[in-house]
Amino acid sequence: MTAARQVRVWDLPTRLAHWSIVSLFAICWWTAKSDHMQWHRLAGYGMLAAVWFRLAWGFWGAETSRFGHFVRGPGATLRYVRKLFARGDDAAATPLGHNPLGALSILAMVGLLLTQTTFGLFAVNVDGFASGPLSRWVSFSTGRRFAHWHAANFDLLLVVVAIHLTAIGVYRWVRKERLVPAMIHGRKTVHGPVQEPYFAPRWRAVVLAAGIILCVALIANLR
Amino acid sequence: MRFIQILNNSDRVRVVLLSAAMLFGALGSASAAGLPQIVHARQEHFRMLGRTAKSLRDQFGRSRLNWTAISSDAQRLERLASELPSWFPPGSGQGHGVKTRASAAIWKNPQGFAEAAHVLLVRAQGLTQAAARHDRRALMVNARALGHACGSCHSRFRAHGSWW
Repeated sequence: MTAARQVRVWDLPTRLAHWSIVSLFAICWWTAKSDHMQWHRLAGYGMLAAVWFRLAWGFWGAETSRFGHFVRGPGATLRYVRKLFARGDDAAATPLGHNPLGALSILAMVGLLLTQTTFGLFAVNVDGFASGPLSRWVSFSTGRRFAHWHAANFDLLLVVVAIHLTAIGVYRWVRKERLVPAMIHGRKTVHGPVQEPYFAPRWRAVVLAAGIILCVALIANLR
Repeated sequence: MRFIQILNNSDRVRVVLLSAAMLFGALGSASAAGLPQIVHARQEHFRMLGRTAKSLRDQFGRSRLNWTAISSDAQRLERLASELPSWFPPGSGQGHGVKTRASAAIWKNPQGFAEAAHVLLVRAQGLTQAAARHDRRALMVNARALGHACGSCHSRFRAHGSWW
């Protein structure tokens, strides 16, 4: 048995994007439920920026955050699932970053969040006053349709979030892997030889975030 | 008309409330046969309200406001707001076998509903006056107030929030 050691897995931009999405999701949910649409719109802009950033960081960010690093085909995913509950600790079955099942969760989550924020941009509420910044380019009935799709897609998001939270619980109680602290401090305990992943320079995250915030601000001002 | 002019503000509110109550009584309960038509007509009225409000709001983003279109929208909003209490005859809410989002609170609290409808009308009148004066700032303020009047009424008297 090789001695356990801590390895840096998640960089700050990935963690910030993750926890921003978590908190903005809660804010968007509450503001929609309580009809605080002014705040809902602002939180929605934040969510749009966070999701765009996570998407961009999946191409130009840290190695463990890149889609090319963790998205696997069906064969590799099935092999991982078979090994997941096998007896004994198989280091190969535990990738350093996202595992193939987590990859599916991320693709579903990012895809649905992107759809959700896009629908919100065009959505119009029932009285025609509160609306997304791009609703000017659609009719009232089309804007209402976007609002209904926005609501239906949110139910799908809740399902994915529930699966995500269940998986975290299963890893915690069955596999004895603590995924939440790792996403807070960015380190994981590993056994055996593991090569430290590549981390993109901070300035790249700053430039990407600034560009994305500018784009979202421009969209917000199109109203 | 002269009678209305000599009343103070609180008396005017009472008159409006009384009128609304009388209107409810005059219309009587929605008969089972006419209920789907009543609900359908009400939904169409609200769609018209929403469509008009959106049309008005879409103007705000333009550098040059089209005051003719804005005045027309504001007048239509005022007319619809004045008619709104008559769209809710007793027995046309939830629990009467027809799909509607009109909460039972409308008939449980008729005074509260009449007051909310009156606030909407006052805001709509403010919008019409701002449009007549070509006062961009007052138009924005009144439009926001009208939006709040819609939202606050929905939170109390609509079974769903303003989005669904």
